[in-house]
Amino acid sequence: MSYSLYFHIPFCTHRCAYCDFNTYAGQEDSIPAYVDALCKEIEFVGQSSHAERSGSTVEAHTLFFGGGTPSLLSPKRFEKILRTIRDHFDLIEDVEITVEANPGTVSFDDLKTLHSLGINRISFGVQSANPEELRMLERIHDFFDVIDAVEWARKAGFDNLNLDLIYGLPEQTLTSWRATVQRILDLHPEHISAYALTLEHGTPFGRWSARGLLPIPDPDLAADMYEWASEAFDAAGYGQYEISNWARVKDESRKLKDKSAAGSSSFIFYPSSFECRHNLQYWRGLPYLGFGAGAHGYANNYRYSNTLRIKTYIERMNEYRKSNIEFPLSPATVNQHHQSVGDDMSEYMMTGLRLTREGIAAPAFRRRFGRELSEVYSREINDLIQLGLLEWHEEACEGYESSQALRLTRRGRLLGNQVFIRFVE
Amino acid sequence: MTSHIRNFCIIAHVDHGKSTLADRLLHLTGTVPDRDTTEQILDSMDLEREKGVTIKASAVRMNYTAKGGEAYELNLIDTPGHVDFGYEVSRALKACEGAVLVVDATQGIEAQTLANLYQALDADLAIIPVINKIDLPSARPDEVAEDIASLLGVKADEVIRISAKDGLNVDQVLESIVRRVPPPKDDSASRLRALIFDSHYDSYKGVIAYIRVFEGSIKPTDTLHTFATRADMKPVEIGIFAPDMKPVQNLTAGEVGYIATGLKTVHDCRVGDTITLASAPAPDPLPGYRHPKPMVFAGIYPVEADDYPELRESLDKLQLNDASLTFDPETSQALGFGFRAGFLGLFHMEIVQERIEREYLLDVLFTAPSVEYEVLMINDEIITVDSPAELPDDESKIAEIREPWMTIEIITPTEYYGPIMDLVTKRRGIYKSQEYPAPHRVQLDFEIPLSEIIVDFFDELKSRTKGYASLDYQFLEYRPDELQKLEILVNGEPVDALAAIVHKKDAYHKGQRMITKLKEIIPRQLFDVAIQASAGGRVISRANVKATRKDVLAKCYGGDITRKKKLLEKQKRGKKRLKMVGNVEIPQEAFMAVLKLEEE
Repeated sequence: MSYSLYFHIPFCTHRCAYCDFNTYAGQEDSIPAYVDALCKEIEFVGQSSHAERSGSTVEAHTLFFGGGTPSLLSPKRFEKILRTIRDHFDLIEDVEITVEANPGTVSFDDLKTLHSLGINRISFGVQSANPEELRMLERIHDFFDVIDAVEWARKAGFDNLNLDLIYGLPEQTLTSWRATVQRILDLHPEHISAYALTLEHGTPFGRWSARGLLPIPDPDLAADMYEWASEAFDAAGYGQYEISNWARVKDESRKLKDKSAAGSSSFIFYPSSFECRHNLQYWRGLPYLGFGAGAHGYANNYRYSNTLRIKTYIERMNEYRKSNIEFPLSPATVNQHHQSVGDDMSEYMMTGLRLTREGIAAPAFRRRFGRELSEVYSREINDLIQLGLLEWHEEACEGYESSQALRLTRRGRLLGNQVFIRFVE
Repeated sequence: MTSHIRNFCIIAHVDHGKSTLADRLLHLTGTVPDRDTTEQILDSMDLEREKGVTIKASAVRMNYTAKGGEAYELNLIDTPGHVDFGYEVSRALKACEGAVLVVDATQGIEAQTLANLYQALDADLAIIPVINKIDLPSARPDEVAEDIASLLGVKADEVIRISAKDGLNVDQVLESIVRRVPPPKDDSASRLRALIFDSHYDSYKGVIAYIRVFEGSIKPTDTLHTFATRADMKPVEIGIFAPDMKPVQNLTAGEVGYIATGLKTVHDCRVGDTITLASAPAPDPLPGYRHPKPMVFAGIYPVEADDYPELRESLDKLQLNDASLTFDPETSQALGFGFRAGFLGLFHMEIVQERIEREYLLDVLFTAPSVEYEVLMINDEIITVDSPAELPDDESKIAEIREPWMTIEIITPTEYYGPIMDLVTKRRGIYKSQEYPAPHRVQLDFEIPLSEIIVDFFDELKSRTKGYASLDYQFLEYRPDELQKLEILVNGEPVDALAAIVHKKDAYHKGQRMITKLKEIIPRQLFDVAIQASAGGRVISRANVKATRKDVLAKCYGGDITRKKKLLEKQKRGKKRLKMVGNVEIPQEAFMAVLKLEEE
């Protein structure tokens, strides 16, 4: 089974007002030591995986550098990390390597070097095209930076770009959101993520809104924004495959309904698109390893996560004594949960149902758990179908028998929590 | 010989320091060795300690050697400090010959000071006035002493000034008790008559009756009989509280003590009843027995339906100790299986609620309280209704609806006269008279329907008078009025637990307030929810809770599934606490919403 590897880069020059991710501003001095520690962790887990798997190397098909702001690392450091990864893991031929970047922190030269290192996907945190909104979010970039960054990335050879957006901002209007969507579409990214703003406890946004200084976004307006954007993305040739994610079809492999081949059954089949393979790994309940401060992993029946603080992480990776730490854990691991079948099943539902197109295929569920999806959750599924939140979808594949998949209805996409809570304890 | 016995109680308004003084007396007489860990020994329930009030009366014997060198037996009978327990107070007073009247030096005379004082005077008790809390910076002892002096017709310097907290001048209180409280009548030769002034349930000895022997004497071997409940019993033991239970061989006229009756329920051993000898009964009971009648009713439902048996058990156990709590099974369409419980008053209800939650760890839902209505049908039949949902729907068959009226007495600084008049008249109260028991203090007497004061009246009174006004009330009579049922419908279904009986002139605005409130409280569901208020067969207010459109976590970052799952689990737990009415999820607070209608 092919793994995905995640690398957390917890540095930012400034912390955005809404952000509650594990990241730190003003600790850039620690970058060299952090990268060293990260390489040690890669090496450690690589070695313990060998031991666990009697000598065979873990195969990885996606790498993802998330943050924080990974683009704060110099290309030289990426080179070092990537070399360490290749030393300890087998990367498949067309491995997907994503780096998250702040549009205000990239240069053409750096992007060119990154591309030459094998990095083939850049995810830019754009958030909005509206200067007021960017200021409120306390982003360090403006939209001109975005235009430059995308152009440089193209020139540097990147043919797989994601642009991240946030909607449902305080004081955001449908008009300003439409303008942002339009500006984004004009840049022709291969992939778009649009996330609703969540007011998180402990962030400036959370505090301001609690004190009444920030209008709480109207959920109905946010729903309008979501629906409008879905249609706009669809019309522009993007297919939605997850609650907050859309991807363009790869032109050369696009297959439209082919009546002569498939008789009267009409369907559109997208065997290959720019869907983010790394994120699909999470949602499909497949294994991934997490490296770096606060990184999360899921493998070998564990869900686990690393210590959050940069300093502690570096100390742990520098000072550990080799002991019986079991793969996939590392000296930096502070939380570990041994998964029961029940845990796995409920999380499989919770994440799998986020996949709006493929949903949860009955045969895949049967293969994984040895039980029938429609029997294990018959009551939940029936209730949710009654409520118009779930549907059975006939998925036909060329050359295969058609199979049933359970997925969110169009309405269910915005009411996902009402569905997911039925599958958790 | 009774000449060296003194039976007395302490009477005070809530929080004026009655329990602190009692505690201090126990230490001073060596009844309790030291200021040990539990403060306020007489209040044995946690709840009482927290609320700072005494819920059940209690009695302790103290041995005291007076300044003259003679030894006395002092029996301190503690009285409940709240307006709901007026009858229990009157019985405790009956058991005494004297009362220490405690008034807070910072607060002055309040409604219960007077109510209790009048009761004590009715019972012919010698009054020893005491001003407490003179150590506080805001104390006005001179002014309060003048007020008390003019009230009692004594000299201001006869009022003892103490700080129970610091023990200051408390010895003078003991001396005054010895000097000024008369000894009980020595009537040990007559046939036995002993007054039950309190009781509690003990799992080993059965019901413990707290008694004052008026005539005759009791030996542990006697077979005893109660007049009102006609129960016969062979006592397990008889004894005194010193302060723990201590068996004795004899209790004679004038003495205070207990009988471990062996009875299984306090219902056979009612406060106010008279105990006599089965073999040689007295011809008549002591006067004044009254069967306590619940005045306020509410539905009690388990939040989790599975907890029903536990709820039943907890009510059974509470009732062992609380003869005035009544309950019967009740079923609500909205809330499922529960109980209709009756209470002496709103405060009594609060205590029961807290005890269920705290001592039995049950999540329960109390519906809005109701009074008991008498409904005269056109066929002359009279039915009583203590739950609004039970009021017959067909108004044409009802000749008249009567509701309980109360007399209330409010004592307040004179500047709050206006706000109080306004509050009471808004609630259909009728002004009767006023008096000035002390300078700057006015006593206002009203008549008012009980239904108007069981819902947040006391809170409202406190907030309008910055906490200065005090209240006392008593049942007056049943009176007819223009009353009707106000129903709430959720998606077309009447919700029984939200029904209310209201005055016709209030139906419209109460209905509107209710709908406005419910619209805030009922969360958006997966479909539109219509809420309507209806009275007299027509809809008087409606609102729509629009279907929710968006409820989804946008992102699970960096594969952190655990956090997302925790959030969902939390959301699910919150959902479980909602009550399903048809297919609509209603938060519990909705069922208490009628309590908050007065807020503007």
